[in-house]
Amino acid sequence: MNQAEVIAQLQTIFDTVFLEPVVLTLAISAKDVPEWDSLTNISLMVAVEKAFGVRFRVGEIENARNIGEFADLIIKRKQEP
Amino acid sequence: MQQDELKTFLLKGDPEFWNHLAAATRVARGFDELFPLSVLRKKAHARKLAPPKQPKEKLRLAILGGYSLYPLHELIEHFCEVENFPVELWLGDYDNYISEIMDENSELYSFAPHVVFMLPAERRCTYTGKLTDPRELQQAEAQRVVDSLLELSRKVNEKTRAEVITANFMLPARHDLGAFRSRTLGSDWSFREWVNLELGLTALAYLHICDWAFLAYRLGGLTARDERAWFESKQPCSPALMVELAREVAHLIGSLKRASKKVLVLDLDNTLWGGVVADDGLEGIELGDTSPRGEAFKAFQKYIASLKQRGVLLAVCSKNDFATAAEPFEKHPDMVLKMEDIICFKANWEPKSENIRAMALELNLGLDSFVFVDDNPAEIEIVRQFVPEVTTILLGPDPSDYVAQLADCRLFEPRSITAEDTGRTSQYRSEAQRKALEASVTDMSSYLESLQMEAVISEFTPVDVPRLSQLINKSNQFNLTTHRRSEAEVIAVMNDTNFVGYSVRLKDRFGDHGLISVVIGQKSGETMKIDTWLMSCRVLKRQVEEEVLNELARLAKARHCTRLEGIYLPTAKNEMVRDFYGRMGFTLTSESETKREFELRVEQFQPIQTKIRITRRAYEPG
Repeated sequence: MNQAEVIAQLQTIFDTVFLEPVVLTLAISAKDVPEWDSLTNISLMVAVEKAFGVRFRVGEIENARNIGEFADLIIKRKQEP
Repeated sequence: MQQDELKTFLLKGDPEFWNHLAAATRVARGFDELFPLSVLRKKAHARKLAPPKQPKEKLRLAILGGYSLYPLHELIEHFCEVENFPVELWLGDYDNYISEIMDENSELYSFAPHVVFMLPAERRCTYTGKLTDPRELQQAEAQRVVDSLLELSRKVNEKTRAEVITANFMLPARHDLGAFRSRTLGSDWSFREWVNLELGLTALAYLHICDWAFLAYRLGGLTARDERAWFESKQPCSPALMVELAREVAHLIGSLKRASKKVLVLDLDNTLWGGVVADDGLEGIELGDTSPRGEAFKAFQKYIASLKQRGVLLAVCSKNDFATAAEPFEKHPDMVLKMEDIICFKANWEPKSENIRAMALELNLGLDSFVFVDDNPAEIEIVRQFVPEVTTILLGPDPSDYVAQLADCRLFEPRSITAEDTGRTSQYRSEAQRKALEASVTDMSSYLESLQMEAVISEFTPVDVPRLSQLINKSNQFNLTTHRRSEAEVIAVMNDTNFVGYSVRLKDRFGDHGLISVVIGQKSGETMKIDTWLMSCRVLKRQVEEEVLNELARLAKARHCTRLEGIYLPTAKNEMVRDFYGRMGFTLTSESETKREFELRVEQFQPIQTKIRITRRAYEPG
């Protein structure tokens, strides 16, 4: 799975979690989306982990600064056995 | 695809959206299935798509606890709303519940909640001393945890009159401590178990327990927890358990308002037994311990019988001729359910929907207190369509799952403690006192004496007829002949001078047992034949049997009979009295597979001395 494919799948997840449509780009981050606060982030991450079949390590998610980095993190965790 | 369908309804502004949302919510399991449904619900509100019928006033629900309450509160809100009781929420701050409750000026009280849900922090439910401390010390600390929760609940209830729901505590799921875990009250495992038990057993009527420990156990201890979610965002548990927790809270709130179901309407063929009795015959149906399938059906009947015991009325609705449908109830030895367990028995060729309507009229109960169970989807559908007020349960393909289906239906759960329950408790309590006394007195004779038993032996009276008939038709174990008699037949016995019938009532210093024994003798020449001898097993070995025999001998003499004839007719249930006549001094005169006959010469009989004080009512002089 490359970064673009990951982002395309992320888009479908965002569409189910946020009320207002969000168009994902590499640079977009939580501060660009009013609905995306630390609380909705919890629900978002549960959905992401389930959809991609990955489990992030503690504190890891908040280190990703934008969707591009987040997609890379997903790819990295997916490559693990 | 359900989601796409929901979105289409939403885009069209079709209020059908809400019905489909409710249906999707009921079947949704994981967090990832549920959360999008909650988002759709909020989208519907944003688009002003109103649910069809909404209560005028929202229920005010305060949630507070030792955890982050998001997204738990959103799931609770979702479950409540789709079940048609939308809530207005007030959320406490993270881990601020104690001061929110103790501070009289807190926002909690200006919110004036109808219901308060408290999720206490498990890190406060742990023993702070050593594992090897004396048990009394550990127990005192556990008691303090219980007391503090009870006190918080009392305070909230006193200030707001709200119903209070508190979660109890999840148990650990790691091997830590090994075998020692259960050998000390100081382990989290034992400590929390003790606290949970004590909390549930002492809670007053306004306090409801959300059994978090049970929910976690049901889901699986390892799946229930999520340490990372605690470190990152102070979540109470894993997303999977959070869904169950929210569902349970909504269920508890809902059951504060909803009346519980009263009648369970049962299909027969392939529901209570395997096969079709009209085709396979009484011998051909699958029921009982001879085959695994038969065992499964019998287990299902046993579970249904346990529902009856807790107050659920049982009814039958079957497409059959009445006689065919009734035959297993009357003749099949493995039927757990008997005719007298069924309050309303409909076996005919009318649609089941019409039969259930008729039952509602006969029993004078609302259709919404009925639950209908059938293995046939077509029958379920007809009831759903024509009497939608009735809740239906379609049994799955495997009878070994039937019990689970009913046990998980959540329709027959006992509610808060009622006055009736309290009465029952006092009965239990006197039974417990009796047991305690039995344990303290070593010899049986002084035990019986200490009971201060008093019995009234009375000939059959019109006022007793219903109870007599009930016992005659219900007693299975201590019942020598299992001759059943309707009320009319009991009256016939009373009016026939060849019969003597009497009953025994018993009380002791701990309580009144009521009418517990029935005897019917039939005089034929110089023989008094014992047609019926039955007794409630509650009073076994209290010398009632001896007094009954004294009375039989006395009556036989008075009627110029020289011998008493006792018969034992074996059934599946009355093995316990197989040798009863022998024990009472009778002589065995003939024996076959289906019958044992005994006799007692009346002139040789010496009345047996007992510890029961006897009073006779309305009797010919002996």
